[in-house]
Amino acid sequence: MASTSSPNMLTKFESKSSRAKGIAFHPKRPWILVSLHSSTIQLWDYRMGTLIDRFEEHDGPVRGVDFHKTQPLFVSGGDDYKIKVWSYQTRRCLFTLNGHLDYLRTVFFHHELPWIISSSDDQTIRIWNWQNRSLICTMTGHNHYTMCAQFHPKEDLVVSASLDQSVRVWDISGLRKKHSAPTSMTFEDQMSRGNQNQADVFGNTDAVVKFVLEGHDRGVNWVAFHPTLPLIVSAGDDRLVKLWRMSDTKAWEVDTCRGHFQNASGCLFHPHQDLILSCGEDKTIRVWDLNKRTSVQSFKRENDRFWVIAAHPEINLFAAGHDNGVMVFKLERERPASAFYQNNLFFITKKDKHVRSYDFQKNVESPVLLTLKNLGSPWVPPRSLSYNPAERAILVTSPADGGSYELIYLPRDGSGSMGTTDTKRGLGNSAVFVARNRFAVFNVAAQQIDIKDLSNSTTKTIKPPTGTTDIYFGGTGNLLLITPTAVHLYDIQQKKSTAELAVNGVKYVVWSNDGLYVALLSKHNVTIATKTLEQVSTLHETIRIKSATWDDAGVLLYSTLNHIKYTLLNGDNGIVRTLDQTVYLVRVKARSVYCLDRNAKPQILNIDPTEYRFKLALVKRNYEEMLQIIKNSSLVGQSIISYLQKKGYPEIALQFVQDPTTRFELAIECGNLEVAVEMAKQLDKPKLWSRLTTEALAHGNHQIVEMTYQKLKQFDKLSFLYLATGDQAKLSRMAKIAEHRGDFTARFQNALYLGDVADKIQMFKEIDLYPLAYITAKSNGLTEECESILEVTGLTEEQITLPDIVSPLSPPKPIVQTFQANWPTKATSQSFFEKALLGQVEGLSLEDEPAAASNGFGFDEAVEGDGVKGSGNLIEDDEEDAAGWDMGDDIVPEVESDFVNVDSAEAGAGSSEADLWARNSPIAADHVAGGSFETAMQLLNRQLGAVNFAPLKPRFLEIYQATRTFIPASASLPPLTNYVRRTVDETDPRKILPIIPRDIESLATGDLQKGYDAMRANKLEDGARIFKGILHALLVNAVSVASEVDEAKKLITSACEYSLAMAIELSRRNLGTPEEVAASPEKLKRSLELSAYFTIPKLEVSHRQLALASAMRAAFMNKNYNSALGFANRMLANGGNAKILENARKTKAQCERNPNDTHEIEFDQFADFEICAASHTPIYSGSQFEVCAFDGSRYQPKYKGTVCTVCEVCEVGKNGSGLKLVA
Amino acid sequence: MDPFSAEGELLNIHNHFHQGQYAEVIDFDTSGLSPENKLPARILQLRAQIALGQTDKVIASVNGQDEPELVAVGALAELVTGNEAKALEVAEKLAGERADNGAIQVLAGTILQAAGKSEEALALLNQHQGNLEAVALIVQIHLEQNRLDLALKEVQAAKSWAQDSLLVNLAESWAGLRVGGEKYQQAFYVFEELAQAPSTSSTQSLVSQAVAEIHLGRLEEAEAAIQQALTKYPAHPECLANNIVLNVIAGKDVSEMISAFSSTAPDHPFLRDLQEKSAFFDQAAAKYSPKVSA
Repeated sequence: MASTSSPNMLTKFESKSSRAKGIAFHPKRPWILVSLHSSTIQLWDYRMGTLIDRFEEHDGPVRGVDFHKTQPLFVSGGDDYKIKVWSYQTRRCLFTLNGHLDYLRTVFFHHELPWIISSSDDQTIRIWNWQNRSLICTMTGHNHYTMCAQFHPKEDLVVSASLDQSVRVWDISGLRKKHSAPTSMTFEDQMSRGNQNQADVFGNTDAVVKFVLEGHDRGVNWVAFHPTLPLIVSAGDDRLVKLWRMSDTKAWEVDTCRGHFQNASGCLFHPHQDLILSCGEDKTIRVWDLNKRTSVQSFKRENDRFWVIAAHPEINLFAAGHDNGVMVFKLERERPASAFYQNNLFFITKKDKHVRSYDFQKNVESPVLLTLKNLGSPWVPPRSLSYNPAERAILVTSPADGGSYELIYLPRDGSGSMGTTDTKRGLGNSAVFVARNRFAVFNVAAQQIDIKDLSNSTTKTIKPPTGTTDIYFGGTGNLLLITPTAVHLYDIQQKKSTAELAVNGVKYVVWSNDGLYVALLSKHNVTIATKTLEQVSTLHETIRIKSATWDDAGVLLYSTLNHIKYTLLNGDNGIVRTLDQTVYLVRVKARSVYCLDRNAKPQILNIDPTEYRFKLALVKRNYEEMLQIIKNSSLVGQSIISYLQKKGYPEIALQFVQDPTTRFELAIECGNLEVAVEMAKQLDKPKLWSRLTTEALAHGNHQIVEMTYQKLKQFDKLSFLYLATGDQAKLSRMAKIAEHRGDFTARFQNALYLGDVADKIQMFKEIDLYPLAYITAKSNGLTEECESILEVTGLTEEQITLPDIVSPLSPPKPIVQTFQANWPTKATSQSFFEKALLGQVEGLSLEDEPAAASNGFGFDEAVEGDGVKGSGNLIEDDEEDAAGWDMGDDIVPEVESDFVNVDSAEAGAGSSEADLWARNSPIAADHVAGGSFETAMQLLNRQLGAVNFAPLKPRFLEIYQATRTFIPASASLPPLTNYVRRTVDETDPRKILPIIPRDIESLATGDLQKGYDAMRANKLEDGARIFKGILHALLVNAVSVASEVDEAKKLITSACEYSLAMAIELSRRNLGTPEEVAASPEKLKRSLELSAYFTIPKLEVSHRQLALASAMRAAFMNKNYNSALGFANRMLANGGNAKILENARKTKAQCERNPNDTHEIEFDQFADFEICAASHTPIYSGSQFEVCAFDGSRYQPKYKGTVCTVCEVCEVGKNGSGLKLVA
Repeated sequence: MDPFSAEGELLNIHNHFHQGQYAEVIDFDTSGLSPENKLPARILQLRAQIALGQTDKVIASVNGQDEPELVAVGALAELVTGNEAKALEVAEKLAGERADNGAIQVLAGTILQAAGKSEEALALLNQHQGNLEAVALIVQIHLEQNRLDLALKEVQAAKSWAQDSLLVNLAESWAGLRVGGEKYQQAFYVFEELAQAPSTSSTQSLVSQAVAEIHLGRLEEAEAAIQQALTKYPAHPECLANNIVLNVIAGKDVSEMISAFSSTAPDHPFLRDLQEKSAFFDQAAAKYSPKVSA
């Protein structure tokens, strides 16, 4: 395979610094350590692109650096001969290991033991224990600088590279033994070990050379083990990268990768793929195929020689150090190509390029649908996937070979076929389906979009706006064209851009599920626009946005590198959860987020959608949902409160808050004075009171104002308030208070307000202001007072010069007694929501309401409580289930013969599908649907003895109507009629059958329950009608499988029993008013009989209890104690509702004292009998009776030949072949 | 060159017409058209007016014109007004004289079919030379006659020379709704594509989409499409008829809907058929009676 140099390397991060000599990835965090030639060690967050820390204690260049796998430690080795161990938490060097006699080249931690391995220009490799900080092994043997030494990731091996042109593999199992169990080393052990391993020259058995690999012609700069296979890769100054293999006993050179044209400085195995990466001083990074040893990719840098390369242990990230810093890069895009349609996600797996699908509903992954091995180059994953549900085809694009696409049909049945049989391909950078049978292919270089049909021929060519970089689906018949600064909506038919939105750098486009909104994702922005590209909102993230998907409710969920977040259409956003690893969101359903991880594995993440649901409900003012959320989840938190406050919903926020201070603030904000007062009372702080005053004053709520003034002891204000509101009584009390307090100013003021001259004078006198007192008295014409003042002061009138006296002022009298009530304040607006919270809105209660408990049976206890029962399940099997139905489904042949009566016209017109239905089916319903009413009636007559068809008319027409649709075709002609089938997937005209509305299931779940409800609610007329309707619907119906026939028969029996029961009870009620009945012994007898018969039909137990209770009561009231006792006993035997049973027990106790019947009625509680549906009289077992062939209701023999009263269709006593429901 | 083909200037007005966007057809600016296309465009506009029930205007506008196409349009307008005999007379005359004219074929064919003369209509339409409208009409007549086999053959033949034109797609979908199975889904895609794209959406295509969905058993989706159509045009007769069908299938009571419908479109085939069947029922039911009357 030819080497392809990719111009755009997927660089994730780059730093600028002096030459980078050593690199280490943190195994978990997005950190990278870089040791520089300038003696600095940098710690970068490559995700955020920030320098976290710098460590500067080495003297001179630092060449080796490594993170500890688990502890917050790292190690470095420098040209100062020192190995330093650092804590990045405390940001300090913990200690220094001294011993090497020359530059350190590499330092690495052991993956599990507390060891560090170092290689040095002093030609030794040393192993250190960093816990006790000691040198535990020195490995000698290389006779030039050792450039690199690494532990094997699993085994007790070390590999080293040296400028002596050799690579050595060392066995260090001895060292491990010695250090893992230092005390248990017996003499034998030592002996055996000594024999086993060849001791080196110095008798050192801790680390012995296992293999010496010679093959490089110059010094070797780097060497590395394969993570899983027994392989070694080395890079040397001979510009070669060599691959070596080893077994237990030997090691040999496998192959050489040639390509670097300068010294190769670093190399490593790809952690997950069969690739080798190497870098060199020729300024290139090269990627090689491990199996073929051919070059796969190479990246060239203009000016910087590469010195070191490192791989992230977990994720697909690499880093290379060069002359001017370090770069972090990926080899390939990790976003798995995927597309989803309805409940299926289609995606391409990472490793094998298999197309698979994932069903969201069943949560299962499909087997491999297709394999795309041949698409593009083997090391380049497909870029995008577009799915066409109409044709079940996919379009896959791959960036290989300058961009290419392939159109492939997926196998129909989902699995098995692996070969890509029918593919169409071509060149292009993006390809998307734009309609059922069209797709668009975009070529960046040519700036051209071709619209192609499914045979891959171009039908139309479009010149996009200049600078278009990508295209996306833009709604039916439209494309979204992405340019670096804008997005265009392009109408393919009209060949013009219909809308444009200026958004920078859009990379991905995500449509909402209803196709009304589109999210445009760029690196740091999410822009939401309508389908006509009107911007709705936009938001900015500091961290990269990876993917997005729409919730069904119209909330956009998007993922960044480490979070899943949401944004509402109005731009409100927040965090949903954090992520451990990058994922690509595909779909949100309830509390699950479906996503693909970087290995294209579908994952389900659980989220708590409460917050955004709540906010959404708030925006939409969907109070019911909000209420639901509040009640069901603990949605209290400062954030939601401040959110509500910020958004202008203080009254809602108020509902969440407990803290009185906050409550007070919110109450003030939303003008809810009641709450504010309550809170102010709790807190009792002057500051709050005064705020409350201001607010209350603004509201005109002077009663609260009064209270707050009192609290604040603001007497003057209080007085003024009383003056303003005209509350004279209180004002005079204020005057008293002022007097008490000795506050003369206040007293004067009050006197003024009151117009109380006497008090004024009195006060002036008290404070010795006689002149003022005098003039006051004088002006008010109080001559006596004047004189007394003169007397006291010892002056005469002549001695005083008075100013002109004008008539005295007196305060105006209040006209309205304002103080009695507040100003008509606006009622504190209680939102719907608040009311609901306070439980004031009816019908909003969250608990299921107990079923309407009306008690038309005349007793209180019986009815309540049984509302819960009987939901959903049919009547349990009775032992006599469908006794009348055993006459068989087997007499078909006679039916078959009579429906070939449709003449097949040869000439112009053919027979319609409706005619076919009648031919295809022996079921009456299908004949009805076909419009062949006559044959349908014939069938029913033979099967069930149906004679009176009038009640079935609505059912006939209902079926007939349901089976024909009308499609407008050519203008000015009547619409085309089409025939609706229940066999949707069938195309064989001999097997197609019509749809029959109201099938067994809908009857059992819908109508039957309604019937039960009517029974419970004592609406017997309604109930009788409903059950009759069920019978009619069943009479003309069809089921698809035989098992449903039994269900249908059960339903018929049940409906029949209820119909009968209701008819009995209704006829009792129709006897007359209670007075009339009581007056006539005959009627009374009949009434008692009917109420007893009401208990005979096989109703649901809870309903039978109603009948029994009614009968018991009637019997008891009329002193038929024996009968009542019988009913009570039956009720007790049935069990159930405690209140009913209690009532039964009481009645029983009373009846047992005198178990006699006053009125003799025809009802023997111990006999076995059925009720005649026509006469409502007992048919004792053993005596003759007739039945209705359809519903199985029984009749006295004399009713033979009449129409069944239950179904009102069939003739009593006329036998037939039986109901036929299945073809 | 076919003026209705993808590059022709009548493409858009032609598509509008067959997508049921009659208002767009009438508003179509024909001033820029080349002279030979003016007449076809005018005919389409007149037909759109007829489809919208403005027959009086059309009759007035073609009165006294002697181009056979306009005479045919006039006849069509007469037909829709109810003067079937008059229309038929003109149509039969034109069918005899100008059977080679594409527009005449379609217009006279429509009238003949509406008057129940299907064989004559087919004979006329079969003389067409690459007229897709005639093809669509033939397909419809075959379907009306319940000759699905012939309709499918016609569609196949048309596909060989006019793959992917709107009318062929529509005709294929009409036939597909009779075939069923996977064809339901394919028909659905065609209608959905028309109905959901803003530039091609019309009540007609929404109703068609809803019908396809009814056949597919997807009642909720059908309901949504019907509602969408009803908001566009609340009195669309097919829309109302199918809405009744949909509600019947869902087991709901439709008596009110039917009475409302019979006041807006008393002549709709749905209602006529229903009345007929109702009478038929009574007649058939009268044959039976119980031995003993109660």
